[in-house]
Amino acid sequence: MRRAAAALRFWAEVFRLRAVVDGRRRGEHAFVSVVCVLLPRFELTVAAGDREELLRTPAALAPSGPPTREQRVGEASPAAEAFGVRAGTPLGEALARCPSLKLVPPDPAGVADRWERLLVRLESIGAAVEPERPGLACFAARGLLRLHGGSLERVLAAARGALRQPARFGAGPSRFCALAAASRARVRRPVVVAGGEAEAAAYLAALPVALLRGRHETAALPEPLVRLGIETLGELAALPRGAVADRFGAPGLLAHELARGRDGKLDPRRPPERLAEELELPEALSGVQLDRALHLLVDRLLARRERRGRTLRAVVLAAKLVEGGTWREQVPFREALADPLRMRLALAQRLVLLPAPAERLRLAVERFGPPAGDQRSLLDEAEAVRRARLREAVRQARAAAGPDAALRVLAVEFDSRVPERRAVLTPFE
Amino acid sequence: MSRAHRLAQPRRARVDADLADGRPHMVDGREVDAVRESWLVEDRWWNGSPVRRRYWELVTTCGRNVVVFHDLRGGGWFAQR
Repeated sequence: MRRAAAALRFWAEVFRLRAVVDGRRRGEHAFVSVVCVLLPRFELTVAAGDREELLRTPAALAPSGPPTREQRVGEASPAAEAFGVRAGTPLGEALARCPSLKLVPPDPAGVADRWERLLVRLESIGAAVEPERPGLACFAARGLLRLHGGSLERVLAAARGALRQPARFGAGPSRFCALAAASRARVRRPVVVAGGEAEAAAYLAALPVALLRGRHETAALPEPLVRLGIETLGELAALPRGAVADRFGAPGLLAHELARGRDGKLDPRRPPERLAEELELPEALSGVQLDRALHLLVDRLLARRERRGRTLRAVVLAAKLVEGGTWREQVPFREALADPLRMRLALAQRLVLLPAPAERLRLAVERFGPPAGDQRSLLDEAEAVRRARLREAVRQARAAAGPDAALRVLAVEFDSRVPERRAVLTPFE
Repeated sequence: MSRAHRLAQPRRARVDADLADGRPHMVDGREVDAVRESWLVEDRWWNGSPVRRRYWELVTTCGRNVVVFHDLRGGGWFAQR
């Protein structure tokens, strides 16, 4: 009996050891599923271009957008951050904190182009990339391990080689944990957080809540959290979930989950099809002349063979400005279309927002819609089209202002001698 | 279902008129400069809600063109466009 019990204990120990060894073999980074690529101050670096000395002085991206909104600076250089200037600081406050602050005109078109090139390079190693914002992207490592020699180090090396540009790499069990790791990494020394949810929470516990700025949903939380004395993610994770929800709502709940090492799934993008038309303007243009240039660009874009009869769902209108810098506007259409007239109508409204005369204009397809029959109809459908648009306008007016928003006059007793009996107002169709 | 709104509904007006011929002198505090036209409407006499009105198309001293009527059945003055 005693011998049998000893044999049982022996085999149990053998099986336990084998399970441990198998586990270690199976998953050197079994729980490391997300890799984060971080290029700090990407927009500022692109806007500065060759003027690298700017990044060593107090500099920040100049405010963009219409002047009616509150003017806030964009990404700031490390020297500017030392004065307390960071992305989103109001312009007046930034200049008060750092009078020698240099403002760099933003280059949204250049940023979009450069970022797209980098994403394509990452995708060239087989990664399904989710771009969070220019300068920050994540991809799942698990599917790439076998493709690149079976280890995470080789995947990171492949990504670094493909980028051909210094970047920080971090890896962890969740997207946020990978971002935190990347923000502490150095260019040639990636930080890898192995393990699962518990290990991720343990790693994040000592890190500052300022990391929540990396996610746009929680970007506004660090400041109030610090004011309340919560300085680390560990302190945030230790708070009762109900109390966080009560004080900060949905963003607070998300931050609480992130601090506990949990995060949502990656949502990789579908690599886009590039189709663009560009026009060098002989002299800087604005107003009516620019409208004509737009006319030409729309016609050229619609005539491209690569369109293959598809409609356009969204386009990007970009311009190089005569004063330096660029301007970029994404224009999603209300419905997918391939009608040059309607496209020009929608785009001309955006062209008015151009802050300065342009010396180069570019129109690119952002998203295609379903194929459309470009064949002209035998009968003139202008009347039917006009009625359909009118119906749509009435539907929208009613949705906004109630059923009496659109009425029409209906003659009920047109020849009555009593005026109030001649006509009534009824709903439009 | 939306209800129908009638157009040109009469609205009550303050009118001072000649007692002899019913000709208005003042409409809503404005003096009448000229009478352009006057007509009588008798309608619906065949059902339970007959209409009997004396209409006046007037021009006031401020140049406004107004149409008023005197309800000959229920009494009272009304303006109508």
